[in-house]
Amino acid sequence: MAIMISIPAGITANQASTEALTQNLSNTITQSEETINQTLTQIACTLSPSFEGFGFRPTDTGDSDFTPPDGTPPNGDSGFTPGQFGGGVRPGQFGGGTFGGGGTTAMNETLYTDISSIDAVAAIATSLEASEGTEEEMEMMGRSFTRLVPDYIIKGIPLTSDLVDNYPILPTNITDGRNLQAGDSGVVLLSENNTDFFEASVGDTVEILGQSFEVIGVYGSSGVEDIMTLYMTLSDAQSVTNNTGYITSITVFAESSSVVSEVASDISSLHPELTIVTGQQRLDQLEALRDTYEIQLESAESSLAQTQATAVQEIVIAIAATSLIVLFVMLYTVRERTKEIGTLKAIGFSNLNIMSQFMLEGVILSLIAGVIGIAIGVVAAPTLSELLLPAVNAGFGGAFARASNTVSSMSGIVTPELILIALGGAVLLGVLGTLYPAWRASRTSPMEALRYE
Amino acid sequence: MSNVTLKTEKVDKVYKLGEHQVRALSDVNIEIAKGDFISIMGPSGSGKTTLLNVLGCLDKPTHGKVLIDGVDITNVPEKNLHKTRKHKIGFVFQTFNLMPWLNAVENVELPMEGTGKTKDEMRKRALNLLDMVGLSKRKEHRPQKLSAGEQQRVAIARALANNPAIVLADEVTGNLDGKTKLEIMRLLGKLNMEQDTTIIIVTHDRQVASMAGRILFLTDGKLLAKEKQGTLRNKRTLENSTE
Repeated sequence: MAIMISIPAGITANQASTEALTQNLSNTITQSEETINQTLTQIACTLSPSFEGFGFRPTDTGDSDFTPPDGTPPNGDSGFTPGQFGGGVRPGQFGGGTFGGGGTTAMNETLYTDISSIDAVAAIATSLEASEGTEEEMEMMGRSFTRLVPDYIIKGIPLTSDLVDNYPILPTNITDGRNLQAGDSGVVLLSENNTDFFEASVGDTVEILGQSFEVIGVYGSSGVEDIMTLYMTLSDAQSVTNNTGYITSITVFAESSSVVSEVASDISSLHPELTIVTGQQRLDQLEALRDTYEIQLESAESSLAQTQATAVQEIVIAIAATSLIVLFVMLYTVRERTKEIGTLKAIGFSNLNIMSQFMLEGVILSLIAGVIGIAIGVVAAPTLSELLLPAVNAGFGGAFARASNTVSSMSGIVTPELILIALGGAVLLGVLGTLYPAWRASRTSPMEALRYE
Repeated sequence: MSNVTLKTEKVDKVYKLGEHQVRALSDVNIEIAKGDFISIMGPSGSGKTTLLNVLGCLDKPTHGKVLIDGVDITNVPEKNLHKTRKHKIGFVFQTFNLMPWLNAVENVELPMEGTGKTKDEMRKRALNLLDMVGLSKRKEHRPQKLSAGEQQRVAIARALANNPAIVLADEVTGNLDGKTKLEIMRLLGKLNMEQDTTIIIVTHDRQVASMAGRILFLTDGKLLAKEKQGTLRNKRTLENSTE
């Protein structure tokens, strides 16, 4: 009976997990559609980790803040995101307005100034992105990885008036203060998520890697809840992360979407080591990704519907089974205690006395079972969800680390309401299952009951 | 005979067993006065237990009247009979029938539940009764920790809880050894003498029956006209012998 009662708790947890996942998928799809519309003229150039060997590693500066290609975590305090889980630093987000936030390897900015000489290049935005946070061991699909759990991500972009005024390099939805402007320095634009982390608002001074910055503005999230990127001018970012002269991505804006592929091939011939993703390619990728997510959303939704249907079935079965179990246990009890009932009647207990005594016992029995059931439910619900989750989660990879975090934190929750419902249900089932046996007990003829051995 | 506690008039009890009718009691007329200690003797199947059930309001006669303290209980509706059982009658059973999860004093308190007594009054009365049956030292013991004789003493104390008009005892010595059997009978005798409690026991044990004041004989559901005097010399037997 205890297990029966624990089932609904497990189901509810499962349902919550699936709903969280569904919600996340919808957000991601919305986000990727927004991104697609901005990206047609953009070309993202990054140095893939495999090109590390080309000598772009800044040995001249003598610091070791850059991530080696094998993904060993940086030992400095301004490490870049390890290659494998670059996406993990900003789950569900596709690089905001200027993509290129993925696998990051530092590039010497002076090596790429020649890109501006290519025909039909309208503008170039070089940027530096670095995650700050704590290292965490994680396991995924049987392998263990070191993952940086970021507290915030510093993004440095060149604040020239041309870029700021004409190109989507900055967040647009400012919720407090103002956006960054050309020529800003020593100031920082925080996301809403960052304001929580720094416990700061517009006008406050925050300390980032030992340097003080004034919070000039706050921007809101767009679809995904916790964007943790803060924006500052490129030179500030380079100096604060101790990466002067280095960048992590170059965003090239072509004059029109029709010349994007030409520009891309020109960049490619100038710098074959760069990983180049054009707006169109990116668009294709995003659309493919969106399709995948849509399929996953569909399957998540159908699995949710199925879970709910199953939940209803299981609850009905659980209720029926529980009532029957209570019924039989109490019938057995009444039978076992026939003589006692006879005695109680002989010494003057009324039918009502007897009936209420058995009802009380049935209810107490069910309550105890309910409490045990809830205890099992609390313990088993996360396990139940985890049994279900890998199947759903397998296809999401690291980018959905956050989603799965949300899910596993949700599945552990057994709310007070749930406990009350379960206890109420237990009492109700106890009453239902005990009514008939108690009535039978009260009707027992004392004379026959006394003769019963 | 002003202080008649219990009287039956032409009591018949017929059971239907399939197509057969079994006449368990036939034209039973008894008069029992307050303070009587009566044993009803008879072989198995003679209707002893049926008679006791009828007297104890556990069963209604097919015909006839049963008057307890002047009230014909055959006219009391079924749903009110438990009050008569609670206040007028005390039962003692062959197998003691104590509640195993209650200790001695709690078992004695049990019939007082719902009589309007406070917890303290109930406890006080129960302790007095346990003292009376000589078990005040075992009051916290549960039935399984008590000997058969001790359990029967607790049961007797329980039967007296609501100060009943009659104590009905069905083969109360049937599960006891010879020595304990006599102790229980002496206890009942003492209660009868000291408290003036009306006691009716049914038994097929001649020795036990003889320890009562009056001995009635039941055969095939009929009460024999002849009645014997037992060895007990209480007020009633003394009154009768002087008459």
